[in-house]
Amino acid sequence: MYRPVASRAVRYADLDLFPTKIRTGFYAWLLHRVTGLAIIFYLLLHIVVISTVLGGGGNFDAVMAWLKRPFFAVGEMLLVTAVIYHGLNGLRVILFDLGIGIKRQKALFWGAFVLAAAGFGFALRVFWPLIFPG
Amino acid sequence: MTIDRGKTAGNAGGNGGGQVAAKRPDKVTLKVYRFDPDLDKEARIEVYDIPWTDGMTVLDTLFWVLERVDGTLAFRFSCREGICGACALFINGSYRLACETQVARLLDEGRTEIHVMPLPHLPVIKDLVVDMARFWANYESIAPWIVARSKAPEKERLQSPKDRKRIDEYVGCILCGSCFSACPASWTDKDYLGPNAMMKTWRWVDDTRDAAKDERLGLVAGENGAWRCHTVFNCVEACPKKVNQAAAIQGLKRKTVSAMLRGAKGLKQGRKGLEE
Repeated sequence: MYRPVASRAVRYADLDLFPTKIRTGFYAWLLHRVTGLAIIFYLLLHIVVISTVLGGGGNFDAVMAWLKRPFFAVGEMLLVTAVIYHGLNGLRVILFDLGIGIKRQKALFWGAFVLAAAGFGFALRVFWPLIFPG
Repeated sequence: MTIDRGKTAGNAGGNGGGQVAAKRPDKVTLKVYRFDPDLDKEARIEVYDIPWTDGMTVLDTLFWVLERVDGTLAFRFSCREGICGACALFINGSYRLACETQVARLLDEGRTEIHVMPLPHLPVIKDLVVDMARFWANYESIAPWIVARSKAPEKERLQSPKDRKRIDEYVGCILCGSCFSACPASWTDKDYLGPNAMMKTWRWVDDTRDAAKDERLGLVAGENGAWRCHTVFNCVEACPKKVNQAAAIQGLKRKTVSAMLRGAKGLKQGRKGLEE
């Protein structure tokens, strides 16, 4: 009589959440959601920052000076990347609605991804002096 | 049936093809999801060591367990040749038909073990058997049969090979439920029609013999229909028959918009309009 070698509780690894086959469309959608939320969060922050001008120009200048920190420079760099990706992937989805490129969805995603990465590289160059002042 | 590996080592042209006769282990480790609602509080994983056989499929390994270790292992199967769609399972992180998945192929992918899980995101009835009620109810709701509205001819309703070719891909669906299980919109919205039911709607909308196209579009035009598809393409990745459900759903979206602009009456008639 054969017996099972082991019997144990289900573990995280059993779920195979990170499949061997890359599900491009799923990650494209997930990134689209995450960058979308990040952009909305930035928009709210932006409104708060801009609204400080209501208290007089000096107030606003002080806030702008305070924002000149490496932390916010990194944030703006990520913002540039997120906006480029979200915009391009949005175009990708619009193309699908028009019936274009459904069979080439992976190539279109990688196109958007590479351009966003290039945007990140460009932003890195621009923001470098702000992140590492002096 | 169990063939000693040593005896078949030179039999490259035998069961399973040439590449399978390459270096193989004496046994493979199978990890199976087990859950009996009458006995278990929580699901568990049972591990079995299975002697290697050339040409062995994942379904064969499940039969091996059923016959020699545990007769209570529950799983669905029928045709054993990839046409009934009963044995769709989540195997090593991908949706596959157990009967068409060679163990040798899984080992070639670099994994040393076989993980067999029921279709994710569906309620488990027992072990590898999931509740497909929602899947079938959705399929029934789109009226997956021809509505012709003209006098029945003497023999069959003819269709040119060119017209038939348009729907070939969608007719090839075997209703295994992989796409429905893989779709994030189906996970979060229990009323969502799902990729399968909508792909099958497109199969009839694009069929030159069908006469109820606007009514069919009306069934998928709501918020739980085509518009909830976010083009995640999980259905396309999951499909063991390589059907492109996403393309079909995008087709439905376009046709629905043009039907609305035309002011098609059929759009608002619902299922009743289909049955008249």
